[in-house]
Amino acid sequence: MTWLQRLVHRDRLDDQLDAELRDHFERLVADLRAKGYDDAAARRLARLECGGLDQAKEACRDARGTRWLEDTIQDVRYAVRGCRKAPAFTAVAVTTLAIGIGANLTVFSVFDALLLRPLPVPNASRLVTFTRWIQNNSSESFSYPQIRGLGERTDLFESVAGVSTDTMFVGPPESLEPVGTSLVSGDYFETLGLTPLAGRLLGPADDRPGVPVVAVISHRYWMQRFNGAADTVGRTIRLEGQQVPVVGITPPGFIGATIGEPADITVAVHANRVLRPEDGGDTTADSRWLLALAVPARSLTREQLQAGLDVAWRRVLEATTPGRVTGEARTRALSMTLTVERGINGASRLRAPMRRPISVALALVTLVLLIACVNVANLLLARGASRGRELAMRLALGAGRGRILRQLLVESALLAIAGTGIGVWIAWFGSGAVSDVMGARMQVPDTAMGLEVAPNWRVCATTALVAGVTTVIFGLVPAWRASGTPHGTLANTGRIVESHGRLASSLIVAQVSLSLLLVIGAGLFMRSLHNLRTLDRGFAPGNVLLASVNPERAGLTPAQLLDFNRSVLRRVEALPGVGAVSLGAITPLQGGGMSQPMVVNGVSTGLSEIHFNLVAPRYFEILGTPLLAGRDFTAGDDAAAPAAAIVNETFVRRHLQPGNPLGQRVAMSGFFAKGEMGIVGVVKDAVYESMRAAPPPTLYVPYLQTRGRPMHLVIDARAPLHDVAATVRAAVQPMVPATPMRIRSFAAQIESSLFQARLMMSLTTIFGVLALVLAVVGLYGLMSYTVAGRTREIGVRLALGARPARVQRMVLAQALRMVVIGIAIGLPIAWLSSRLVRSLLFGLEPTDGLTITASVVILLTAGIAAAALPARRAATLNPVAAIHYE
Amino acid sequence: MSTRAKPDLPQGTLDLLVLQVVALEPLHGYAIAQRLKQMSRDVVQVTQGTLYPALHRLENRGLLAAEWKSSDTGRDAKFYRLTRKGRTHLEVETANWERLTGAIATILNAAKGEAS
Repeated sequence: MTWLQRLVHRDRLDDQLDAELRDHFERLVADLRAKGYDDAAARRLARLECGGLDQAKEACRDARGTRWLEDTIQDVRYAVRGCRKAPAFTAVAVTTLAIGIGANLTVFSVFDALLLRPLPVPNASRLVTFTRWIQNNSSESFSYPQIRGLGERTDLFESVAGVSTDTMFVGPPESLEPVGTSLVSGDYFETLGLTPLAGRLLGPADDRPGVPVVAVISHRYWMQRFNGAADTVGRTIRLEGQQVPVVGITPPGFIGATIGEPADITVAVHANRVLRPEDGGDTTADSRWLLALAVPARSLTREQLQAGLDVAWRRVLEATTPGRVTGEARTRALSMTLTVERGINGASRLRAPMRRPISVALALVTLVLLIACVNVANLLLARGASRGRELAMRLALGAGRGRILRQLLVESALLAIAGTGIGVWIAWFGSGAVSDVMGARMQVPDTAMGLEVAPNWRVCATTALVAGVTTVIFGLVPAWRASGTPHGTLANTGRIVESHGRLASSLIVAQVSLSLLLVIGAGLFMRSLHNLRTLDRGFAPGNVLLASVNPERAGLTPAQLLDFNRSVLRRVEALPGVGAVSLGAITPLQGGGMSQPMVVNGVSTGLSEIHFNLVAPRYFEILGTPLLAGRDFTAGDDAAAPAAAIVNETFVRRHLQPGNPLGQRVAMSGFFAKGEMGIVGVVKDAVYESMRAAPPPTLYVPYLQTRGRPMHLVIDARAPLHDVAATVRAAVQPMVPATPMRIRSFAAQIESSLFQARLMMSLTTIFGVLALVLAVVGLYGLMSYTVAGRTREIGVRLALGARPARVQRMVLAQALRMVVIGIAIGLPIAWLSSRLVRSLLFGLEPTDGLTITASVVILLTAGIAAAALPARRAATLNPVAAIHYE
Repeated sequence: MSTRAKPDLPQGTLDLLVLQVVALEPLHGYAIAQRLKQMSRDVVQVTQGTLYPALHRLENRGLLAAEWKSSDTGRDAKFYRLTRKGRTHLEVETANWERLTGAIATILNAAKGEAS
């Protein structure tokens, strides 16, 4: 029999043991009777000789080797009974742990989804991705020629692919369904090492100009939309209004190689100009929009790869930087370097901006968990003290210290398991919510985009680890102390109260320090967000609506687009509720921008140095950007009039000659190339792509003086936004039936650009409040407990004439002392950890005096609030009753 | 009963004795105790509290096998028998024991010789 069988069959074994020992006894009795003893005497003698039957049985049970398990089971039963007898204690402890563990798992699963989870593709562990750098500015986006250029270096790479995921619309115009779609270069599937589940995947032959557009769909999409029908390959889907045949299905689990942007449809890069002709120039050197994934050659070490790449990249850069970029701008463009990173979990634009916030969040939740542990440890200490009598009794009855220690640890483990259970449940919802927020960041309305935050072994292992470590942290110290309760305390619990008091106070001090860190963090991010919101961006959001359509989809040529834009403008102008309307190719903070190389007064500028925009008259007026000099564009600035341009202050400062900016000449090359323009106006600097970056030099051109392209309507609404939006949609949508109009308020666009700041603010605030609540609960618990333990002493003081107010002050002072020490320890730690958050803040230093002062005040107030009730209780004690207490 | 103090069995020797007794024929616990007592001329007397745990330990280690069989009393009794593994163990341990006691005897005798 194995020990497991012996454990399972222990009842039967007990019966057999009983029978065996009785048999022995009966034989002894029989022998004694044979020697002439009468029955009663024989039995008495036999009993004497056999010794204690129960001891013998116990010794035999020990011999089974399952003792430890039986004891543990007994401990668990005992612990469950103990917890049930103290429901308040159990509830508080479990809730505290659940909050700590749940918060941790939530953040960890996002961290996991973003930075750890490998792509479900054969080559995952070999994949690398690239980041390009100019000084400290980094980007993960590459142009199509750059990807192809790197792919030609077969000495360095087995395969290089570019991918970008976007939303495309599937179905007939009246019921368009947005679907995440990856545009990929020809070597994409080969790079991933993926083989089709059915049909074929895309190859280099599919990624050429003029070849028929075909699509590969995900297993998930195949199930959802085609119900897994066997004849799906060969059928067509209506993608962006065109019938596209499905040629293959990817294996289950694969939903694209872009993190946070799942893709159910994959088409070649070259398919884009067929599907979305308005995205002109997507294979030119000017458009850097693809994320890179590559499989390095097997023989290369990381260092060799980077070294080889340094040379290769330089060549690629030279070949892909347009010849019109010359001089200093060219030198700067060619100074771009490339770094290689592991791409095991795919390519992502989110990874770089999210790494720091997620790391900070992880650090914060760890603090929250620590605080939770400290709280539970304190509860256990208090409980251990009040159970001192019971434990002392058990020690006196012969229980070993190890045995009691183990039993108390089992109790802690039980609490941890319950806490973890609820924590996992919290994390399940929490990570869903975080994923939704991240989805919103993607700015794709009506799509189920976001991170896949499902549990996996890494999350489960972390859960187990966290639960285990927590148990040890919060359980061991109290258990150790409780199990060491000296025998003398059987009669006197007062003394234990005092000795536990010191440890408990240091735990409270630790808690206060940790809470201070979190509260300061919350304060910093709150002020940071406030700074971003109140920043002078150079525009006033007012009551402005932004609307956009893609008329090019209807097959309009650039020339027809100009007319279309003009007629949309005229039609919207006449609508009720519309105060003024204008057009802009780019609206501020829409997430992206355009830039063109220019020649200003004969000097050529860098590739992405000058931002530029096409606008209609009254654009600045509607967005609230003041005109500082000259004039705004008018309807007269059309193709027949002399070319005009408006620039911002930074442009004037950096690129124009001193003196009057008006009348100076600028020429533009590139996609929107046109001849010399005369500057007719100067506007105030306005934020363009990001609020954190200083406004770049910007050049505005009248929309009628360049080639036509889709524009955003910028509408000054004089009626409720919702009504105006409906009116505009009703008037404009019929002009472009193929694609749905997108309408949003300018204010919403600004808010969504504050995503990171808002996320950090919400996270730190939630964690800060949690920490503060936990600390207050802990302090309150300790003070109540102390007051209860000192009842007799306080009673004596009161009886001897101490005034209640003095007693109250005494208790408050004790609490405040802990808080002050905690703050004194927390402040230097906060100062040391400030480096971690500096880059995430805006407009203030991490050592911001106001924030720190406010945080200290908050903690002091919370401390006084926590101690107020126990202090009052102490002051209003009835001295007579108190002296007779216990 | 003898009033003479019974020497304690050295650690581990009870196992050896039990295996030796059972090696001759399968026996139940009481018979094992009786045999030990008789063969040692009352020197080795084991109580239930030491004998049965030892039997169970040996059974769990696979050195003994047990079987419930009907016995002379009409009740079923648990008979222990030596397994092959037990026999090997017995041989090895017996050899060890003899070497050890031989060595101890030599030392004691030599000490006696020196003392005289």
